[in-house]
Amino acid sequence: MAKPKIGIYGLTGCGGDQLMILNLENELLDLLRNVEIVAFQEASSVQQDEEVDIAFVEGSVSTELDLERLKDVRKRSRMLIAIGDCAIGGCVQAMRNQEMTMKEKMEEVYGKGEEYFKVLEPYGLSKYVNVDLELQGCPIETTEIRQVFLSLLHGDTPEIKDYPVCVECKLNEYQCLLVDKGMPCLGPIIAAGCNARCPGLGIDCVGCRGPIMNETNAAEELHTLLEKGYDERYIENRLRFFGANFEGILKLSKMLREKTGGARGK
Amino acid sequence: MAREIVVEHLARVEGHGGIEVTIEGEEVKDVKMRISEGPRFFEAIIKGVKYDKVPDVMRRICGICTASHSLASIRTIEKAFKVEVTPRTAMLRDLLIHGEVIESHSLHLFLLALPDYLGYPDALSMMDKHAKEVKAAFQLKKTGNMVHNALSGREVHGMNDRVGGFSTMPKEEDLLSIKKAMEDSKAAAEDAVSLFASLDIPDCTHSENILMALDPGDRFGYLGDHVLISDGKRKRVEEYRELTNEEVVKHSHAKHSSYRGSSFMVGALSRVTLCKERLYGTANELFREHAEKLNPRNSLNNNLAQAIELVHCIDRCLEDIDALFNNGIEKEELAKIEPRKSSAIGAVEAPRGILYHDYSFDENGCITQANVITPTAMNSANMEKDFGVAVGRLVSERKENLESTLELIARAYDPCISCSAHLINVKFV
Repeated sequence: MAKPKIGIYGLTGCGGDQLMILNLENELLDLLRNVEIVAFQEASSVQQDEEVDIAFVEGSVSTELDLERLKDVRKRSRMLIAIGDCAIGGCVQAMRNQEMTMKEKMEEVYGKGEEYFKVLEPYGLSKYVNVDLELQGCPIETTEIRQVFLSLLHGDTPEIKDYPVCVECKLNEYQCLLVDKGMPCLGPIIAAGCNARCPGLGIDCVGCRGPIMNETNAAEELHTLLEKGYDERYIENRLRFFGANFEGILKLSKMLREKTGGARGK
Repeated sequence: MAREIVVEHLARVEGHGGIEVTIEGEEVKDVKMRISEGPRFFEAIIKGVKYDKVPDVMRRICGICTASHSLASIRTIEKAFKVEVTPRTAMLRDLLIHGEVIESHSLHLFLLALPDYLGYPDALSMMDKHAKEVKAAFQLKKTGNMVHNALSGREVHGMNDRVGGFSTMPKEEDLLSIKKAMEDSKAAAEDAVSLFASLDIPDCTHSENILMALDPGDRFGYLGDHVLISDGKRKRVEEYRELTNEEVVKHSHAKHSSYRGSSFMVGALSRVTLCKERLYGTANELFREHAEKLNPRNSLNNNLAQAIELVHCIDRCLEDIDALFNNGIEKEELAKIEPRKSSAIGAVEAPRGILYHDYSFDENGCITQANVITPTAMNSANMEKDFGVAVGRLVSERKENLESTLELIARAYDPCISCSAHLINVKFV
């Protein structure tokens, strides 16, 4: 059987997900014996625009060029896998979506009165094309990439975690940072898969794996944190870091905005 | 007739960029380093965020120099709120940044830069004939990543380094495994120096280079509060605006920097040149041995300078680990923070050069203003200078040779394009 052809591509992001693939290090060399890499932007000058069996795409769609490249990759790939939060919900660069206009962001960074250049409000891939699988994380975990590679090589569908970080926290018997220590932990609404890394280090979950798909009870999280004494704006920012493009959080954010009159940061 | 040399998509670097050179007859008319990476507007989106989670957002500017952004962000916040950290925290931060340099330099030297010199599209396809180099790359990279994992919690966007200290102390057994891995990889780092010293480096970029690096104090390192400049001046990091004079250029999403009207260079070559007296141990010996080769007027020597830093970093990590064991690694509470209305500027030497973070806070400790200047943005104008010099010298060469030389130059700067993109102007020829 011919080796499956793999393409690894990056749109707008920090390059960290491609780096996590390289971070498989010696294991990567073993994996590569079983596949043929036809593009790996961060690691190779080979960029063949040919059909691939599996395309891994990191980064958000933030420019017209990103969109053009994404559509091209989609057209010539049998399976398209979004790797990392940027490619799923836009990640931190999307945290002010629908809150600040792109023109406002532009003027903030670039200065008023300068020419305004066209950029897109950052979104994940699925806003524009059909995505076959989404691997959450900022960054993705090496254990998950390995598992996805192996599953696909064996013709299986990789398992995607649809339960919260809290489950992994409990399995590790960590003290609950939210209930016991009153820390602003987002564990209850964030997808597991990190083995509750941050709570294990005594740090409240910042939400870097993104909300659990279709099951984000952001209102209850807000309620709990308000009870713990955190103010609405602080909580809203926290929810937005990695979740601004998720429906539950967006709705909640809009509701808060109407209540507080809309001035940001106040 | 005008002809154009276009490297439309620069591969084997972090992010999206390209190079365009216009030549008329024998004359270089125009040189552009285009940074086409989408801008992410970190300075705008961070406004209103409370200081405690600012580093968690800002370290996501970059996947490769994530600990550098973490530490720049944390140090700036601590400066603003006048927080003193313990000697143990300072020692752990020193270890973390040296570990990051090992990871980043080994990735850059072996996986991104070396394939050009050996004639391959990437390091993975070098396995058949150059297995030793590829294995050395992964060994060193893994060793650097072990530091990231043990101290910051993971390889990319680690979170254990916080404002005020480390949330959890590294485990003793992890420090011991790092120590062993460092000892085992020192030979590979020394081999990297011999390898990069033996490469035939074209001198096509040979020209004046103004250099800048942070003053690390008595000993070579990556943290400091003053900037050393090759004209002999020493400035406080608070004067960074006069040192960088960032301005928007229409062809790139990265702003360009200049010092007294000239482009300048930051990174390993600047550091080892300006701080050569502070190198010590094996790195110092290797620097002396190759001092002639390390001419700072040829930017391509940045690769060899990085290889020498690899050796320095391994020795320093070993020293830091020994010091940690001698002084104890019991848990310490994070320093207490009292936010106030204030502003501060902090800097670190990221693997590819000086990185500035500049924040202002309101009385609740929420960001009201932020500015980040990355090394790749600072180097952009100098890269263009080098492209112009090289094309001017090689103007009669074939187009392909010119293109590959331009890529060689760009890669020697180890550009981190995601970091540098402030703004976009997508206009591809």
